[in-house]
Amino acid sequence: MTGPHPSWPEPRLTLQSQLEDLTLVWPWVEALAARYSVPAETQFAIQLCLEEALSNVIRHGYRGQANQSITVECAPSGVAELVFTVEDHAPPFDPVAAAPAATPASIQELEPGGQGIRLMRKFASRLTWQPLPHGNRLILAFALPPPAIS
Amino acid sequence: MQITTEEMPGGITRVALDGRMDIAGAAAIDLKMNIIAGSAKKLLIDLQKVEFLGSMGLRSIVIPARAVSSRGGKVVLFAPNEMVESVLKTAGIDTLIPVRHDLDAAIAVLG
Repeated sequence: MTGPHPSWPEPRLTLQSQLEDLTLVWPWVEALAARYSVPAETQFAIQLCLEEALSNVIRHGYRGQANQSITVECAPSGVAELVFTVEDHAPPFDPVAAAPAATPASIQELEPGGQGIRLMRKFASRLTWQPLPHGNRLILAFALPPPAIS
Repeated sequence: MQITTEEMPGGITRVALDGRMDIAGAAAIDLKMNIIAGSAKKLLIDLQKVEFLGSMGLRSIVIPARAVSSRGGKVVLFAPNEMVESVLKTAGIDTLIPVRHDLDAAIAVLG
């Protein structure tokens, strides 16, 4: 750990394109939540959206291709938001414009997965996609409650 | 992630899940969930102690529920916390697999 405080988490996490690497996200977000006094419900939303965004990149963006990198960067935006920026080198895919999977009409039609875009739209305060010359940038913002008056 | 099962009166199989249903949690319970779903006719999935539910965790509920339902069985989800229920609702699961917060009501669904 480097930075102004010995226990502060790194602002950037780099993953390889394998689902096992998603296990690195939980402790990182937990440390960030402690660092920025993120409420439990917001931490839940962050974990949910990052798991969703990252697993989509690994499974669909990189199509299971190993040894590709994904970076996630966390930065506070003013005092009101915590912003996560996910960057990959996969073919362009805009999850913000994509139509979410249809709501299934019966258990038999329920596809495991497919609800990810709907979940991200619901649980992130703001979702922005930007094409990169050789990849994608997905920005997920989460509103934070105003700081307590000290 | 822990998983415990209990046979209840009326042929109900209660599966209690405990922990985080993230990618690691889902991997830890999938095999057992699928085995249970292979024989259960009335499946009560107890979510009281589930702290987190992500899309990988949703799969761990949906796939066994589909298996039970395809054999003419019934499934109910019991007592998710507020955030977990919000995930179920956003994914549209709650309209297909009933969610109940009262044990008697959950058992009645399986009736």
